[in-house]
Amino acid sequence: MNRRAIHAIAKKDLWSITSNVQIFLPIIIVPLILLVLLPAGLLIAARYFDLSQTTNMEPILNMFAQLPEGSLKVTLDSFGDVNKQMIFLFINYFFAPLFLLVPIMAASLVAANSFAGEKERRTLESLLFAPVDIFSLFFGKVLAAFILAMALAIGGFVLFGLVVNVLAYPLFNQLIFPEPNWWVLIFFVSPALSFLTILFNIFVSAKVKGFQEANQMSVFIVLPIIGLVLSQVTGALFLDSLVLWIIGLVALLVALIVLWRMLKHFDRNKLFESQIF
Amino acid sequence: MEQIISVSGVYKSYQKEQAIKDLNFSTKEGEIVGLLGPNGCGKTTTVRLLNGVIAAEQGKIEVFGLDPKEAGDKIRLLSGVLTESAGLYPNLSGKANLEFFYELYGVEQKERIDNLLKDFGLWEHKDKKVGSYSTGMKKRLGIAKALLHSPRLLFLDEPTNGLDPEGARDLLEYIARLNEEKGVTVLICTHILTHIETLCDRFLFMADGTVIEEGTLSQIEAKYLKEFLIEIETDITEYALSSDLREELVESNSNKLIFKVKRKEHIPDLLKALLELGPVYTSRILGRDLETMYFKIREAKK
Repeated sequence: MNRRAIHAIAKKDLWSITSNVQIFLPIIIVPLILLVLLPAGLLIAARYFDLSQTTNMEPILNMFAQLPEGSLKVTLDSFGDVNKQMIFLFINYFFAPLFLLVPIMAASLVAANSFAGEKERRTLESLLFAPVDIFSLFFGKVLAAFILAMALAIGGFVLFGLVVNVLAYPLFNQLIFPEPNWWVLIFFVSPALSFLTILFNIFVSAKVKGFQEANQMSVFIVLPIIGLVLSQVTGALFLDSLVLWIIGLVALLVALIVLWRMLKHFDRNKLFESQIF
Repeated sequence: MEQIISVSGVYKSYQKEQAIKDLNFSTKEGEIVGLLGPNGCGKTTTVRLLNGVIAAEQGKIEVFGLDPKEAGDKIRLLSGVLTESAGLYPNLSGKANLEFFYELYGVEQKERIDNLLKDFGLWEHKDKKVGSYSTGMKKRLGIAKALLHSPRLLFLDEPTNGLDPEGARDLLEYIARLNEEKGVTVLICTHILTHIETLCDRFLFMADGTVIEEGTLSQIEAKYLKEFLIEIETDITEYALSSDLREELVESNSNKLIFKVKRKEHIPDLLKALLELGPVYTSRILGRDLETMYFKIREAKK
């Protein structure tokens, strides 16, 4: 491994992304909508309306009844008000899968831009002519996408926490965020899913001819996350720490299998022939 | 001189199309070799094979005594490549592009980037984005990139494309100096034959994925020039010529006579005979330039 080359590629890729509006704008806009506007809207609405009286809340109210005995139940009971209980659940649990979209989207866009973007700019050839082993080129690209995804995840988490706690404090007179499941989400599930997304997209990016094509393929990663959001809302799955640990472990395991297969099959000659001709 | 490139019996195809077939040639250290041929004849593929970015299906390639399939990174560390598109990042500045490749090539001389920017007349534009550079500026930056790590072997694919006459002249002079002072071996692929006629020590003519002819210009001339046209600038008129000389005369116009001789050795006798008749100001053999040779070879090998 060539550490100097990995660092240079990661640095160059990060610069390329942040200076490309087409890629960087959605990376910034999505977290702003999901982690600032949406929770702010919800909390402001909660001050004026009783959320429990809103339609389609039945599955969520049913979920309250089915919650196992434990600290969460105790916390919820301590609020003694369904409206507050719903806010607490929305913020700490329903937003969890939505939050995952932030690093995954970033990772997906950056990774899709990796080899396909180089090919579009006609720079892949000069990159492959450099005296750098193919794995260092590959890890440089992975590192750039991972750094950006995690920076957005942590930045988004801090921003979300600030918005939520500032707006919810007048209602609760205490900080309601984060619950312990968020620590698993930030420091285990986000990195694991980002890593898997990056590997998948780099693999696709090295096969297809352009960035748009590579980016379209990333929907395969985003779809299961949408599934998680729906399962939360319908009460089919409750994203507590245990479930998150399991999701993270599965993602990590799949990522390691994908990585192992990629390292086995990633080849400079094949990449050159599939991308340059 | 040590042999630096050796290629024997190499074959390469892309998607069932034979790009290279039975390719054989060698290059010695310190040579400047011109790789000539029409589009699609396999010049660029040859450069890619020599650098190990694609692999040959058959045959043997050695660069610095190393097999590009096994030791591609070592070969690429010793060689610099200018690809036809220059391969630069348009959203980075000229200097940032060189800084990126400086890291990739593991260069350790900090002043190298500034020196190359100055050498190629890009110092004033070093902070501008490469996307705003003219074709010639991109080409010059591409060559600076190829030279960053002071390679012993330089591959230049169409280096003068897009350069104005002064830019092309400066670049060719730079390459000649690099070869003379540092002993850098150079392989140039180009269509602009006039640019490299005096620069190259030897030429490889390619067609349909193989080398169809090779040699120095005089070796090729000896092989393909079957008769010599000599243009004489003189005051002697056609009518003053002897009948023997008149037989060799093919054209006559104001102050110029053109003679055709079968052998090069007859030229001194022709000149001696003319000098006895009057003043001779200049004399030159016509149709011995690289371009003429190129077409003669193409015609002969059809």
